[in-house]
Amino acid sequence: MDKAEAASSPPPGQSITVKDLLGREVQVRAPVQRVILGEGRQLYLVAALDTDNPVQRIVGWRKDLIQADPDTYSAYAKKFPAIADIPTFGGFEDGTFDIEQAIAQKPDVILLNIEAQRATDDARYIEKLAALGIPVVYVDFRHHPMENTEPTMRLIGRLFGKEARADEFIAYRNAQIRRVADTIAAHQPARPKVFIERIGGYSEDCCLSFGNENFGKFVEVAGGNNVAKGVIPGTFGQLNPEQVIAANPDQIVVTSANWEAYVPSGSWIGVGPGADLPEARRKLEAYTRRPAYAGTRAAQGRAFHAIWHQFYNSPYEFVAIQQLAKWFHPTLFADLDPDATYREMHERFLPVPFQPGYFVSLEGAAPASAKAAP
Amino acid sequence: MTSPAMTAPADQSAGYRAMVRRKRWLLLGFLVLTTLSLVLDLALGPVGYSVKEVVQAVLWPDSVPMQLRVVVWDIRLPTALMALAVGAALSVAGAQMQTTLNNPLASPFTLGISAAASFGAALGLAFGVALFPSFAGYVVPVNAFVMAMLSAGLIHLLSMKRGVTTATIVLLGIALVFTFNALLALVQYFATEQAVAAVVFWTMGSLTKATWPKLGVTCLVIAITLPLFARNSWALTALRLGDDKAASFGINVARLRLQTLVMISLLAAFPVAFVGTIGFVGLVGPHIARMLIGEDQRFFLPASVMTGALLLSISSVVSKTLIPGAIFPIGVVTSLIGVPFFISLILGSKERSW
Repeated sequence: MDKAEAASSPPPGQSITVKDLLGREVQVRAPVQRVILGEGRQLYLVAALDTDNPVQRIVGWRKDLIQADPDTYSAYAKKFPAIADIPTFGGFEDGTFDIEQAIAQKPDVILLNIEAQRATDDARYIEKLAALGIPVVYVDFRHHPMENTEPTMRLIGRLFGKEARADEFIAYRNAQIRRVADTIAAHQPARPKVFIERIGGYSEDCCLSFGNENFGKFVEVAGGNNVAKGVIPGTFGQLNPEQVIAANPDQIVVTSANWEAYVPSGSWIGVGPGADLPEARRKLEAYTRRPAYAGTRAAQGRAFHAIWHQFYNSPYEFVAIQQLAKWFHPTLFADLDPDATYREMHERFLPVPFQPGYFVSLEGAAPASAKAAP
Repeated sequence: MTSPAMTAPADQSAGYRAMVRRKRWLLLGFLVLTTLSLVLDLALGPVGYSVKEVVQAVLWPDSVPMQLRVVVWDIRLPTALMALAVGAALSVAGAQMQTTLNNPLASPFTLGISAAASFGAALGLAFGVALFPSFAGYVVPVNAFVMAMLSAGLIHLLSMKRGVTTATIVLLGIALVFTFNALLALVQYFATEQAVAAVVFWTMGSLTKATWPKLGVTCLVIAITLPLFARNSWALTALRLGDDKAASFGINVARLRLQTLVMISLLAAFPVAFVGTIGFVGLVGPHIARMLIGEDQRFFLPASVMTGALLLSISSVVSKTLIPGAIFPIGVVTSLIGVPFFISLILGSKERSW
């Protein structure tokens, strides 16, 4: 018993070796007491571990959470006012990270997203920080979320001395993904063709989308067929509106959010925590009149949906996958309730309450799987 | 009197007539190529409609299926025509800037107009700032336009100061380019990564933003400015001989220059506001025209219209065929197509065109 206890949470200062998401072996004194988040949205994971007080270990973070997901930030700020006092940093990616400020915080570890690697290497930050005994650990839940979110969670759990809690979250997440993946594998339903319109209403351009990663991958896991996967070589890209017509998608999924701060009274659909869903549905209606969707099966069947864009960079993306599956195969997933899943996850793992509003569909949409091409 | 002396003027006028004829043929050639490129642009697309179907949809839109009509009228036509209009407008703007400022490097981009537009657009994209009360959904183009006109206005104001030469104006323009680029970087520094991506994408230019109203406005500006340029064509040609010479012909140089700069600003600001910075056309279009057809505005002006339109039209075709189904940023394509052609013309031309 004593031995197991010691293994799961070594006394402060004891050095452990962890392997990060780039395969680097890093020595860290664990459990870490002071951590800098190279990306603010790492809070999504931290909050599931330090549920009682997610702010306790964070001595600095990037301001991206505050900017990209203000609703979540304000929910945490309401419960943990100390969050407003966390010093913010610029990003490694754009070269605005202030290394002196970081050193002054005396962190036990700095968690960086893998896309920061090049900039970090260029500036030789790792070596400079190592000379001061500050280890850097790379994590990822955006580039390859389906593969990397789990090891990232396990890694942070180990650093925090919260392995059991991390395993609990991982098990929950996997179980929720399996509810979709196993059903799809068992029934092999016809895959409807799906077009994802990325950041609908943020740009006046049409037909930004995802290649075969991120939301593109979520669609595939949910039993859909992403029409942009063969066209867009990387994760992000733009389709010729005519290509969307040529592909003739059965379902249109618009990723959007409340972007009043960027595009005042724009055509964005304000899905997200606590959204006004009738208003969101009204704005979604306008998308049926886009030239790119004219005459497609999606337009004929009114199969238009909007989903919260920030799922693209969140370890809670399994909720999005469940909702996509329910949209694509309503009869197969009649019993699946993504809102209930999300609510349960909040109750079990997060300190803030669940607010619905992440998804919306048009009224009078025809069932999808019936119309899907074989 | 001996016969050579008698025939010399006749020879000269015959030579002149031959030259005019040659230039007319060149212009006709450009027109044919541009038309071909437009047809190609309309005929190509991921939905494999036949040329016959497309022609039918263009001529009798009510007689074809809804999807074909939407593809041709809402997707292909606005984009293809916008390529022509934007190419023509930017090329003419560049041509007249080079003429009035007597500088081969002048273009809407070297004078900071497009950098200003990018900054205005970035303010909208990153912070939702509207520089001018505008309709929802038009904040970004209106911002871009307002900034472009402000920078043009600033150049006008400075150019009216005593002792300011054309070279000083170009230098001021370059100073503006650096200023606005720095401001743009500042916006990006404070913006979210998503906004930064949108700004970068905007600055690469995209014809998919084209709509009929935007096309209409662009064409209107061209329709207003071109006749005015044509009316001033002899004066503008004279301007290339130098300010003093032009003044000795009775031209009010300062007034002509101001008038031209106002028109250039309109020609550059609208397209940039609508489709983003497609930088290269404004510099290269007029140079290609000048190398092929010379300085005489009667030919140089229509030739600039067509080289610009042709260059952007070809780029439009390439940008949608490079990765079938995807859209490649037009600004990138334009530079990559225009540069090799431009360099080969520079190195291949035997006479100095500038």
